[in-house]
Amino acid sequence: MALSLTVNGDRVASTADPAAPLVDILREELHLTGAKPVCREGFCGACMVLIDGKPTPSCLTPAALADGCEIQTVEGLATPGQLNRIQAALDASDAVQCGMCFPGMVVSLTHLLTASPDATREDIRAALTGNICRCTGYERIIDATLLALATK
Amino acid sequence: MIPGSPMQRVPAAAHNAASSIHVAHSLANALDALSEWGSAGAVFAGGTWIMRSPIRHEPLREHYVAIGRIAELGAVRIGTDVVEIGPVVTHAALAAALADLPEFNVLAAAAGRSANPAIRAMATIGGNLATPGFAAADCVPALLCLDAEIEVAGREGRERMKLEHFLQIRSTLAPGRLVTQIVVPRSERKTAHARLPLRKAGDYPVAIVSFSVSVDAAGRVQAARIAVGSVEPVARRWERLEAALIGRQLDAEGAARTATELAEEFVGRDGVDAPAWYRVSVLPSLVRRAAAAALGA
Repeated sequence: MALSLTVNGDRVASTADPAAPLVDILREELHLTGAKPVCREGFCGACMVLIDGKPTPSCLTPAALADGCEIQTVEGLATPGQLNRIQAALDASDAVQCGMCFPGMVVSLTHLLTASPDATREDIRAALTGNICRCTGYERIIDATLLALATK
Repeated sequence: MIPGSPMQRVPAAAHNAASSIHVAHSLANALDALSEWGSAGAVFAGGTWIMRSPIRHEPLREHYVAIGRIAELGAVRIGTDVVEIGPVVTHAALAAALADLPEFNVLAAAAGRSANPAIRAMATIGGNLATPGFAAADCVPALLCLDAEIEVAGREGRERMKLEHFLQIRSTLAPGRLVTQIVVPRSERKTAHARLPLRKAGDYPVAIVSFSVSVDAAGRVQAARIAVGSVEPVARRWERLEAALIGRQLDAEGAARTATELAEEFVGRDGVDAPAWYRVSVLPSLVRRAAAAALGA
Protein backbone atom coordinates (compact mmCIF):
# COMPACT_ATOMS: atom_id res chain seq x y z
CA MET A 1 0.00 0.00 0.00
CA ALA A 2 1.33 3.43 -0.91
CA LEU A 3 2.38 5.73 1.89
CA SER A 4 1.28 9.34 1.86
CA LEU A 5 3.68 11.94 3.21
CA THR A 6 3.73 15.70 3.12
CA VAL A 7 7.31 16.81 2.57
CA ASN A 8 8.11 20.52 2.59
CA GLY A 9 4.49 21.21 1.75
CA ASP A 10 4.23 18.75 -1.16
CA ARG A 11 2.04 15.65 -0.98
CA VAL A 12 4.19 12.66 -1.85
CA ALA A 13 3.35 8.99 -2.36
CA SER A 14 5.87 6.24 -1.71
CA THR A 15 5.82 2.50 -2.13
CA ALA A 16 8.84 1.96 0.10
CA ASP A 17 8.69 -0.97 2.47
CA PRO A 18 7.09 -0.02 5.78
CA ALA A 19 10.27 -0.41 7.83
CA ALA A 20 12.40 1.62 5.41
CA PRO A 21 14.08 4.47 7.27
CA LEU A 22 12.56 7.81 6.32
CA VAL A 23 16.01 9.20 5.54
CA ASP A 24 16.36 6.73 2.67
CA ILE A 25 13.03 7.76 1.17
CA LEU A 26 13.96 11.42 1.42
CA ARG A 27 17.32 10.91 -0.24
CA GLU A 28 16.78 8.07 -2.68
CA GLU A 29 13.21 8.68 -3.82
CA LEU A 30 12.78 12.38 -3.36
CA HIS A 31 16.41 13.42 -3.90
CA LEU A 32 16.37 15.63 -0.82
CA THR A 33 19.95 14.98 0.21
CA GLY A 34 20.23 17.51 3.03
CA ALA A 35 19.51 14.87 5.67
CA LYS A 36 22.58 12.63 5.92
CA PRO A 37 22.50 8.97 6.99
CA VAL A 38 25.73 9.09 8.98
CA CYS A 39 25.49 6.93 12.09
CA ARG A 40 22.02 5.43 11.50
CA GLU A 41 21.78 5.08 15.29
CA GLY A 42 20.20 8.35 16.42
CA PHE A 43 23.43 9.63 17.95
CA CYS A 44 24.76 12.12 15.42
CA GLY A 45 21.73 14.13 14.34
CA ALA A 46 22.87 14.51 10.72
CA CYS A 47 19.56 13.08 9.50
CA MET A 48 17.38 15.31 11.68
CA VAL A 49 14.09 16.47 10.18
CA LEU A 50 10.96 18.00 11.64
CA ILE A 51 8.06 15.55 11.83
CA ASP A 52 4.85 17.35 12.76
CA GLY A 53 7.10 20.12 14.04
CA LYS A 54 9.36 18.00 16.28
CA PRO A 55 13.06 17.35 15.61
CA THR A 56 13.28 13.64 14.82
CA PRO A 57 16.12 11.44 13.57
CA SER A 58 14.86 10.22 10.20
CA CYS A 59 17.19 7.20 10.33
CA LEU A 60 15.11 5.73 13.17
CA THR A 61 11.72 6.61 11.76
CA PRO A 62 10.14 3.82 9.73
CA ALA A 63 8.24 4.88 6.67
CA ALA A 64 4.99 3.50 8.04
CA LEU A 65 5.11 5.83 11.03
CA ALA A 66 5.76 8.86 8.84
CA ASP A 67 2.59 8.10 6.86
CA GLY A 68 0.22 11.05 7.07
CA CYS A 69 2.79 13.26 8.79
CA GLU A 70 4.08 16.71 7.90
CA ILE A 71 7.80 16.48 7.27
CA GLN A 72 10.14 19.39 6.91
CA THR A 73 13.71 18.86 5.76
CA VAL A 74 16.48 21.43 5.73
CA GLU A 75 15.54 22.17 2.13
CA GLY A 76 12.10 23.37 3.24
CA LEU A 77 12.91 25.55 6.25
CA ALA A 78 13.21 28.86 4.42
CA THR A 79 11.53 30.73 1.62
CA PRO A 80 13.34 29.88 -1.64
CA GLY A 81 16.18 32.29 -2.23
CA GLN A 82 16.27 33.47 1.37
CA LEU A 83 17.86 32.26 4.57
CA ASN A 84 15.86 31.79 7.74
CA ARG A 85 16.98 33.40 10.96
CA ILE A 86 19.34 30.70 12.14
CA GLN A 87 20.76 30.13 8.67
CA ALA A 88 21.54 33.83 8.35
CA ALA A 89 23.13 33.91 11.80
CA LEU A 90 25.27 30.84 11.11
CA ASP A 91 26.44 32.45 7.88
CA ALA A 92 27.14 35.79 9.53
CA SER A 93 29.06 34.09 12.34
CA ASP A 94 31.21 32.06 9.94
CA ALA A 95 30.05 28.94 11.78
CA VAL A 96 29.60 26.63 8.79
CA GLN A 97 32.32 24.15 7.93
CA CYS A 98 32.19 20.78 6.16
CA GLY A 99 28.41 20.54 5.90
CA MET A 100 27.98 16.97 7.10
CA CYS A 101 26.29 17.83 10.37
CA PHE A 102 24.92 21.21 9.37
CA PRO A 103 21.56 20.29 7.87
CA GLY A 104 20.71 18.54 11.13
CA MET A 105 22.05 21.46 13.19
CA VAL A 106 19.91 23.89 11.22
CA VAL A 107 16.82 21.73 11.72
CA SER A 108 17.36 21.41 15.49
CA LEU A 109 18.15 25.10 15.91
CA THR A 110 15.25 26.26 13.75
CA HIS A 111 13.01 24.38 16.18
CA LEU A 112 14.85 25.81 19.20
CA LEU A 113 14.29 29.38 18.03
CA THR A 114 10.55 28.77 17.94
CA ALA A 115 10.20 26.51 20.98
CA SER A 116 12.62 28.31 23.31
CA PRO A 117 12.89 31.96 22.34
CA ASP A 118 14.52 32.73 25.68
CA ALA A 119 17.10 29.95 25.48
CA THR A 120 20.38 30.45 27.29
CA ARG A 121 23.80 29.23 26.25
CA GLU A 122 23.27 26.15 28.42
CA ASP A 123 19.86 25.54 26.86
CA ILE A 124 21.42 25.65 23.41
CA ARG A 125 24.13 23.19 24.46
CA ALA A 126 21.48 20.83 25.82
CA ALA A 127 19.38 21.14 22.66
CA LEU A 128 22.40 20.19 20.55
CA THR A 129 23.24 17.06 22.56
CA GLY A 130 22.03 14.95 19.66
CA ASN A 131 23.84 16.90 16.93
CA ILE A 132 27.49 16.04 16.68
CA CYS A 133 29.95 18.32 14.87
CA ARG A 134 33.56 17.32 14.39
CA CYS A 135 34.76 20.55 12.73
CA THR A 136 33.81 23.64 14.66
CA GLY A 137 33.96 22.79 18.33
CA TYR A 138 30.41 24.10 18.68
CA GLU A 139 31.23 27.51 20.15
CA ARG A 140 30.62 29.48 16.95
CA ILE A 141 27.40 27.56 16.41
CA ILE A 142 26.22 28.51 19.89
CA ASP A 143 27.31 32.13 19.37
CA ALA A 144 25.36 32.18 16.11
CA THR A 145 22.29 30.80 17.85
CA LEU A 146 22.48 33.50 20.52
CA LEU A 147 22.77 36.04 17.71
CA ALA A 148 19.70 34.60 16.01
CA LEU A 149 17.77 34.66 19.28
CA ALA A 150 18.69 38.31 19.73
CA THR A 151 17.56 39.11 16.17
CA LYS A 152 13.83 38.91 16.69
CA MET B 1 -0.18 13.55 -4.99
CA ILE B 2 3.30 13.36 -6.41
CA PRO B 3 4.11 9.70 -7.06
CA GLY B 4 7.41 8.54 -5.65
CA SER B 5 9.52 5.93 -7.31
CA PRO B 6 10.25 2.62 -5.61
CA MET B 7 13.04 3.10 -3.16
CA GLN B 8 16.50 2.02 -4.21
CA ARG B 9 18.31 -0.24 -1.81
CA VAL B 10 21.17 1.40 0.05
CA PRO B 11 24.04 -1.09 0.01
CA ALA B 12 26.00 0.53 2.84
CA ALA B 13 23.22 -0.03 5.33
CA ALA B 14 20.72 -2.34 3.71
CA HIS B 15 17.78 -3.08 5.95
CA ASN B 16 15.74 -6.20 5.91
CA ALA B 17 12.18 -5.75 4.88
CA ALA B 18 9.19 -6.06 7.14
CA SER B 19 6.04 -6.97 5.27
CA SER B 20 3.83 -4.72 7.31
CA ILE B 21 3.66 -2.27 10.18
CA HIS B 22 0.08 -2.00 11.37
CA VAL B 23 -0.64 1.27 13.15
CA ALA B 24 -3.19 0.39 15.84
CA HIS B 25 -5.54 2.99 17.27
CA SER B 26 -6.99 0.92 20.11
CA LEU B 27 -5.66 -1.78 22.41
CA ALA B 28 -8.29 -4.24 21.18
CA ASN B 29 -7.20 -3.64 17.59
CA ALA B 30 -3.54 -4.14 18.49
CA LEU B 31 -4.30 -7.40 20.32
CA ASP B 32 -6.33 -8.65 17.37
CA ALA B 33 -3.50 -7.91 14.95
CA LEU B 34 -0.91 -9.57 17.20
CA SER B 35 -3.15 -12.58 17.61
CA GLU B 36 -3.63 -12.88 13.87
CA TRP B 37 0.09 -12.84 13.12
CA GLY B 38 1.18 -15.05 15.98
CA SER B 39 4.90 -15.68 16.09
CA ALA B 40 5.43 -13.80 12.82
CA GLY B 41 4.37 -10.58 14.49
CA ALA B 42 5.65 -8.38 17.29
CA VAL B 43 4.89 -5.09 18.94
CA PHE B 44 6.92 -2.24 17.47
CA ALA B 45 8.20 -1.52 20.97
CA GLY B 46 11.67 -0.14 21.31
CA GLY B 47 11.49 1.24 17.79
CA THR B 48 14.76 3.11 18.13
CA TRP B 49 16.34 -0.28 18.86
CA ILE B 50 14.41 -2.22 16.22
CA MET B 51 15.37 0.23 13.49
CA ARG B 52 19.02 -0.52 14.20
CA SER B 53 18.57 -4.26 13.72
CA PRO B 54 20.51 -4.20 10.42
CA ILE B 55 23.54 -2.76 12.20
CA ARG B 56 23.42 -5.67 14.64
CA HIS B 57 22.85 -8.11 11.75
CA GLU B 58 19.51 -9.09 13.25
CA PRO B 59 16.51 -9.77 10.99
CA LEU B 60 13.34 -7.75 11.34
CA ARG B 61 10.08 -9.50 12.17
CA GLU B 62 7.70 -10.05 9.29
CA HIS B 63 4.92 -8.00 10.86
CA TYR B 64 4.88 -5.26 13.46
CA VAL B 65 2.06 -3.60 15.35
CA ALA B 66 2.77 0.03 16.23
CA ILE B 67 1.03 1.04 19.47
CA GLY B 68 2.30 4.60 19.90
CA ARG B 69 -0.99 6.18 18.79
CA ILE B 70 -3.19 4.25 21.23
CA ALA B 71 -4.42 6.98 23.55
CA GLU B 72 -5.23 4.64 26.46
CA LEU B 73 -1.59 3.50 26.58
CA GLY B 74 -0.15 7.00 26.62
CA ALA B 75 -1.18 8.50 29.95
CA VAL B 76 0.57 9.10 33.27
CA ARG B 77 -1.95 8.89 36.12
CA ILE B 78 -0.72 10.18 39.48
CA GLY B 79 -2.81 8.66 42.23
CA THR B 80 -2.65 8.74 46.00
CA ASP B 81 -1.03 5.33 46.33
CA VAL B 82 0.46 4.60 42.92
CA VAL B 83 1.56 6.21 39.71
CA GLU B 84 0.37 4.41 36.59
CA ILE B 85 2.42 4.92 33.46
CA GLY B 86 1.30 3.90 30.00
CA PRO B 87 3.94 2.05 27.99
CA VAL B 88 3.95 4.52 25.10
CA VAL B 89 4.72 7.51 27.31
CA THR B 90 7.93 9.00 25.96
CA HIS B 91 10.94 9.64 28.10
CA ALA B 92 10.45 13.39 27.67
CA ALA B 93 6.79 13.25 28.68
CA LEU B 94 7.54 11.04 31.67
CA ALA B 95 10.27 13.36 32.96
CA ALA B 96 7.89 16.31 32.66
CA ALA B 97 5.03 14.48 34.38
CA LEU B 98 7.17 13.53 37.39
CA ALA B 99 9.05 16.80 37.72
CA ASP B 100 7.17 17.92 40.83
CA LEU B 101 7.28 14.59 42.69
CA PRO B 102 10.59 14.37 44.62
CA GLU B 103 10.04 10.70 45.51
CA PHE B 104 10.35 9.99 41.76
CA ASN B 105 13.57 11.95 41.22
CA VAL B 106 15.27 8.72 40.16
CA LEU B 107 12.81 8.02 37.38
CA ALA B 108 12.52 11.63 36.25
CA ALA B 109 16.30 11.79 35.97
CA ALA B 110 16.50 8.45 34.16
CA ALA B 111 13.91 9.53 31.63
CA GLY B 112 15.06 13.12 31.37
CA ARG B 113 18.78 12.54 30.83
CA SER B 114 18.84 9.45 28.63
CA ALA B 115 20.17 9.66 25.07
CA ASN B 116 19.48 13.11 23.55
CA PRO B 117 16.44 15.39 23.25
CA ALA B 118 15.15 14.04 19.94
CA ILE B 119 15.45 10.44 21.10
CA ARG B 120 13.77 11.25 24.41
CA ALA B 121 10.83 12.65 22.46
CA MET B 122 10.33 9.39 20.54
CA ALA B 123 11.63 6.59 22.81
CA THR B 124 9.11 5.20 25.28
CA ILE B 125 9.28 3.63 28.71
CA GLY B 126 7.65 0.49 27.33
CA GLY B 127 10.34 0.35 24.69
CA ASN B 128 13.00 0.48 27.39
CA LEU B 129 11.37 -2.51 29.06
CA ALA B 130 10.82 -4.49 25.87
CA THR B 131 14.38 -4.58 24.56
CA PRO B 132 16.30 -7.40 26.25
CA GLY B 133 19.37 -6.64 24.14
CA PHE B 134 19.66 -3.06 25.41
CA ALA B 135 21.60 -3.32 28.66
CA ALA B 136 22.04 0.44 29.11
CA ALA B 137 18.34 1.31 29.35
CA ASP B 138 18.13 4.02 32.04
CA CYS B 139 14.52 3.47 33.08
CA VAL B 140 14.92 -0.21 33.96
CA PRO B 141 17.12 0.17 37.06
CA ALA B 142 15.13 3.25 38.03
CA LEU B 143 11.91 1.24 37.99
CA LEU B 144 13.59 -1.64 39.84
CA CYS B 145 14.54 0.61 42.72
CA LEU B 146 10.97 1.94 42.83
CA ASP B 147 9.52 -1.59 43.13
CA ALA B 148 7.51 -1.25 39.91
CA GLU B 149 5.01 -3.79 38.67
CA ILE B 150 4.26 -4.51 35.04
CA GLU B 151 0.83 -5.25 33.60
CA VAL B 152 0.81 -7.53 30.58
CA ALA B 153 -2.31 -8.10 28.47
CA GLY B 154 -3.43 -10.46 25.77
CA ARG B 155 -6.82 -11.25 24.29
CA GLU B 156 -7.37 -13.72 27.11
CA GLY B 157 -6.88 -11.16 29.86
CA ARG B 158 -4.42 -9.20 31.92
CA GLU B 159 -1.91 -10.08 34.62
CA ARG B 160 0.41 -8.05 36.79
CA MET B 161 3.88 -9.08 37.87
CA LYS B 162 6.95 -7.68 39.59
CA LEU B 163 9.41 -6.03 37.24
CA GLU B 164 12.12 -8.50 38.31
CA HIS B 165 9.94 -11.35 37.04
CA PHE B 166 9.04 -9.53 33.85
CA LEU B 167 12.74 -9.06 33.07
CA GLN B 168 13.20 -12.83 33.35
CA ILE B 169 10.33 -13.71 31.02
CA ARG B 170 10.23 -10.79 28.57
CA SER B 171 12.20 -12.63 25.88
CA THR B 172 9.72 -15.47 25.93
CA LEU B 173 6.45 -13.60 26.25
CA ALA B 174 3.85 -15.50 24.27
CA PRO B 175 2.88 -13.97 20.92
CA GLY B 176 -0.06 -11.66 21.23
CA ARG B 177 0.83 -10.23 24.64
CA LEU B 178 2.13 -6.79 25.40
CA VAL B 179 2.91 -4.44 28.28
CA THR B 180 -0.12 -2.25 28.97
CA GLN B 181 0.87 -0.44 32.15
CA ILE B 182 3.71 0.21 34.57
CA VAL B 183 2.56 0.67 38.17
CA VAL B 184 4.86 2.34 40.68
CA PRO B 185 3.94 2.60 44.36
CA ARG B 186 4.18 5.94 46.10
CA SER B 187 5.97 6.28 49.45
CA GLU B 188 8.15 8.54 51.53
CA ARG B 189 11.61 7.95 50.12
CA LYS B 190 14.69 9.71 48.85
CA THR B 191 15.76 8.69 45.38
CA ALA B 192 18.48 9.50 42.88
CA HIS B 193 19.85 8.23 39.57
CA ALA B 194 23.61 8.26 38.91
CA ARG B 195 24.88 7.38 35.44
CA LEU B 196 28.25 7.57 33.76
CA PRO B 197 28.22 8.31 30.04
CA LEU B 198 31.59 8.73 28.34
CA ARG B 199 30.61 12.25 27.33
CA LYS B 200 28.67 14.52 29.65
CA ALA B 201 25.50 13.73 27.72
CA GLY B 202 24.32 11.96 24.60
CA ASP B 203 26.07 8.61 25.12
CA TYR B 204 24.83 5.42 26.65
CA PRO B 205 25.86 5.13 30.28
CA VAL B 206 28.76 2.80 31.02
CA ALA B 207 27.15 2.05 34.36
CA ILE B 208 24.04 3.17 36.25
CA VAL B 209 23.12 3.19 39.94
CA SER B 210 19.49 3.87 40.82
CA PHE B 211 19.01 4.55 44.50
CA SER B 212 15.99 4.67 46.78
CA VAL B 213 16.08 4.85 50.58
CA SER B 214 13.74 5.62 53.42
CA VAL B 215 15.37 7.11 56.50
CA ASP B 216 14.06 7.70 60.02
CA ALA B 217 14.13 10.97 61.91
CA ALA B 218 17.71 10.27 63.01
CA GLY B 219 18.87 9.72 59.43
CA ARG B 220 19.18 5.92 59.74
CA VAL B 221 18.25 3.84 56.73
CA GLN B 222 15.00 1.95 57.28
CA ALA B 223 14.57 0.57 53.79
CA ALA B 224 16.75 0.57 50.70
CA ARG B 225 16.38 -0.50 47.10
CA ILE B 226 19.43 -0.07 44.89
CA ALA B 227 19.60 -1.23 41.30
CA VAL B 228 22.52 -1.43 38.89
CA GLY B 229 22.14 -1.07 35.15
CA SER B 230 24.43 -1.34 32.12
CA VAL B 231 27.11 -3.27 34.05
CA GLU B 232 25.66 -6.74 33.40
CA PRO B 233 23.45 -7.71 30.46
CA VAL B 234 20.30 -7.21 32.54
CA ALA B 235 19.76 -4.64 35.27
CA ARG B 236 19.31 -6.04 38.76
CA ARG B 237 19.11 -5.06 42.39
CA TRP B 238 22.20 -4.88 44.58
CA GLU B 239 20.67 -6.65 47.54
CA ARG B 240 23.88 -7.10 49.56
CA LEU B 241 24.49 -3.37 49.47
CA GLU B 242 20.88 -2.69 50.42
CA ALA B 243 21.19 -5.01 53.41
CA ALA B 244 24.48 -3.46 54.48
CA LEU B 245 22.97 0.02 54.58
CA ILE B 246 19.92 -0.87 56.67
CA GLY B 247 20.11 0.60 60.18
CA ARG B 248 23.15 2.74 59.37
CA GLN B 249 23.34 6.47 59.17
CA LEU B 250 23.27 7.22 55.48
CA ASP B 251 26.39 8.99 54.32
CA ALA B 252 27.71 9.02 50.79
CA GLU B 253 31.34 8.18 51.57
CA GLY B 254 30.37 5.29 53.81
CA ALA B 255 28.01 3.90 51.19
CA ALA B 256 30.77 4.12 48.58
CA ARG B 257 33.21 2.26 50.87
CA THR B 258 30.69 -0.50 51.39
CA ALA B 259 30.06 -0.63 47.65
CA THR B 260 33.80 -1.07 47.05
CA GLU B 261 33.80 -4.08 49.38
CA LEU B 262 30.80 -5.65 47.64
CA ALA B 263 31.36 -4.77 43.98
CA GLU B 264 33.11 -8.06 43.18
CA GLU B 265 29.73 -9.75 42.91
CA PHE B 266 29.20 -8.09 39.52
CA VAL B 267 30.46 -9.68 36.32
CA GLY B 268 30.73 -6.79 33.90
CA ARG B 269 29.93 -7.02 30.22
CA ASP B 270 32.51 -6.13 27.60
CA GLY B 271 31.44 -3.59 25.02
CA VAL B 272 32.94 -1.25 22.46
CA ASP B 273 32.27 1.65 24.80
CA ALA B 274 33.91 0.16 27.90
CA PRO B 275 35.53 -3.06 29.08
CA ALA B 276 33.89 -5.23 31.71
CA TRP B 277 36.26 -4.34 34.54
CA TYR B 278 35.73 -0.62 34.06
CA ARG B 279 31.97 -0.85 34.44
CA VAL B 280 32.41 -2.59 37.79
CA SER B 281 35.17 -0.28 38.95
CA VAL B 282 33.03 2.87 38.66
CA LEU B 283 30.17 1.50 40.75
CA PRO B 284 31.39 2.80 44.14
CA SER B 285 31.71 6.31 42.72
CA LEU B 286 28.22 6.11 41.30
CA VAL B 287 26.90 4.89 44.67
CA ARG B 288 28.59 7.88 46.31
CA ARG B 289 27.00 10.28 43.81
CA ALA B 290 23.59 8.67 44.09
CA ALA B 291 23.62 8.66 47.90
CA ALA B 292 24.75 12.28 48.02
CA ALA B 293 22.02 13.30 45.58
CA ALA B 294 19.40 11.36 47.52
CA LEU B 295 20.50 12.97 50.78
CA GLY B 296 20.18 16.36 49.17
CA ALA B 297 16.73 15.62 47.86
